[in-house]
Amino acid sequence: MTYEPTIIAFLCNWCSYTGADLAGTSRMKYASNINIIRVMCSGRIEPMFVLSAFREGADGVLICGCHPGDCHYHEGNYKCLRRFHLLQKYLTQMGLNEERMRLEWISASEGKQFAELADDFTEKIRSLGPCKLKETAETLT
Amino acid sequence: MEEIRIGVYICWCGTNIAKMVDVEDVARELSEMPDVVIAKDYKYMCSDPGQDLIIKDIKKHNLNRIVVSACSPRIHELTFRRTLENAGLNPYMFQMANIREQVSWVHDDRIKATKKAKALVAAAINRIKWHESLDKRTVSINPSTLVIGGGIAGITAALELADTGSQVFLVEKERKLGGNMAKIDLTFPYLNSAQQIINEKIDRIEHHPNIRIFRNTVIDEIFGYIGNFNSTIGQNGTEAELKFGNIIVATGLKSFDPSGIKNYGYGKLPDVITSLEFEQMLLNGKILTKEGKEPANVAIIHCVGSRNSDEHEYCSRTCCMSALKYANQLRSAIPEVNIYQAYADMRAFGKGCEELYCSTSRKDVMFLMFDQQKDLPVIMEAKADDSCKMVIEMNEKLSGERIEIPADLVILMVGLEAQDDAKELARSVGISMCGNSFFMEKHPKLDPVATTTSGVYVVGNCQAPKEIPDAISQAKAATARIMATIKQGEVEVEVITAEVNEDICCGCKTCIQVCPYTAITFDENNSVSVVNEAICKGCGTCGSACPTGAIRSRHFTDNQILSQIKGLMSKSLELNEL
Repeated sequence: MTYEPTIIAFLCNWCSYTGADLAGTSRMKYASNINIIRVMCSGRIEPMFVLSAFREGADGVLICGCHPGDCHYHEGNYKCLRRFHLLQKYLTQMGLNEERMRLEWISASEGKQFAELADDFTEKIRSLGPCKLKETAETLT
Repeated sequence: MEEIRIGVYICWCGTNIAKMVDVEDVARELSEMPDVVIAKDYKYMCSDPGQDLIIKDIKKHNLNRIVVSACSPRIHELTFRRTLENAGLNPYMFQMANIREQVSWVHDDRIKATKKAKALVAAAINRIKWHESLDKRTVSINPSTLVIGGGIAGITAALELADTGSQVFLVEKERKLGGNMAKIDLTFPYLNSAQQIINEKIDRIEHHPNIRIFRNTVIDEIFGYIGNFNSTIGQNGTEAELKFGNIIVATGLKSFDPSGIKNYGYGKLPDVITSLEFEQMLLNGKILTKEGKEPANVAIIHCVGSRNSDEHEYCSRTCCMSALKYANQLRSAIPEVNIYQAYADMRAFGKGCEELYCSTSRKDVMFLMFDQQKDLPVIMEAKADDSCKMVIEMNEKLSGERIEIPADLVILMVGLEAQDDAKELARSVGISMCGNSFFMEKHPKLDPVATTTSGVYVVGNCQAPKEIPDAISQAKAATARIMATIKQGEVEVEVITAEVNEDICCGCKTCIQVCPYTAITFDENNSVSVVNEAICKGCGTCGSACPTGAIRSRHFTDNQILSQIKGLMSKSLELNEL
């Protein structure tokens, strides 16, 4: 059987989740590997959420928020961005390829961009192959 | 702790979901998950029978948590929360899994789509175990309303509200009231005088005891939330502190500037004018070329700046009918004039518009079609021995022939586009913009005048180009919504705010630094952070920044999201194994 990656996408309620909904109402097709979890703001996304996704077996984590300056809560996306960079370093130190986690800005009108991003990221993760974190963690504990 | 008893409902949404997701299989499989008492599929969960099904099951099976797997929560989350309330459950004991917008409509492999739907529902089931009852929160409504924009939409809204006895603050960027409508002579399709309509309304608002008008004024920043907004408005060097409960945005659109379209020579050829400039000519009562002569040939070019990938891809909706209106006005002002309509597609929808098209075409008006995407007409100066001032070369689409149109006056039917300061305004009132910089409504069909920010409404052209009756309808719709909240005196708001567990708060003040609303203050006596729930909007940024885990983001708690991740992954991996 061909390898099908599992990807968790954290989307902010106001821009990105609406953008993903727009991809749906516009009947755009994208990879079914992307599974969306809604948060109110990308600023709510804790490093723990991303780490937990990998720990539970996700092969990739996508984070989407409003474009800089467009955050529904003024600046939550900037806080997300800051955390993202720190988390990237942490993932690398853990031995994870930092490309397994991606942050992109998707506005409410960018259904097309979301669909393209979903496909692009899925292909990236597919090329990286399965993430072994869950397996490793289970061997260790 | 009470036993967890979950009811799971999978919606077919007619064929919308059922054609791509095996809904029966999803219900069957999920019914086996721990704590799931019952799992059913049904044609339309949001319909009355669908909701009744949930209510009956809640009572019969003593359910205390409900998962509905259907469309986007942006559409029906509130519907189902009310269903739970009707059955006596707390509305927050509900979770939605979006298997339409984010599964059946975007995937084309039924097996994979069904698998993903199962994973999303499993995630919701796992999440809802951590849901807790949240108390309703209401805020009082200040009966004053801020209307931004003094065009026909804003004026209509202001009058409607003021006539009920409520205070209205009307803010207009320009000195003159009336917006675009004040700049036109007649309206289509019945050729009524725009001036007559708008001037009567301007006169009324200027003398209305409940309306305070701020001219030459731009809104800078607005603070607060539904029912309790405030803003400082500067006017003539003085500042006024305004308090209001609702906001109507009616900032309109502006005319497209055609200088950038080389073919048309606007700005270079003196007798190529925009439709807006022609309106001014009509208002002055004289249709003349720059030389002061009556034109013998007038060409009207449609779709200028509209429906073209180089400018704006959308249709500006009003130009076709305005162009027909001009043909009528020209024919009656200069009976012998030759009128040419160079159009791309004639769009004559709406009451009375097809009739205007038919009657105009019988008035000796030449209709010539061009390709708006690839082949725009070219306007050039006529040769010295020609009998006209300009010649328009175009490939006439219906005949397939290359033709030349003589013209002494060319009217460019310019489209409508967003105001230059649309982005700043969207930011200051806290609303989103969709493509083309139009302001975004909460839902294009179900909630077309509200926005995702409670208490803020968008009416008229700023939401998208439209005719005057549509703008007025929207203005009146928004005022009806606002009057409902004023009459109630209070409105329910989301309770997904943050709360501090004072026992584990270490007093580091990190949350205070990251809060975008200054909703968190520091209690010096107890050395802990305190959240002001009236100001908190529930973004959860403090929750994710808190180093000790003392801050909980209600309804988006760590446990809820982590369980959602866990539920999603375990179902996904389980199905991958098969």
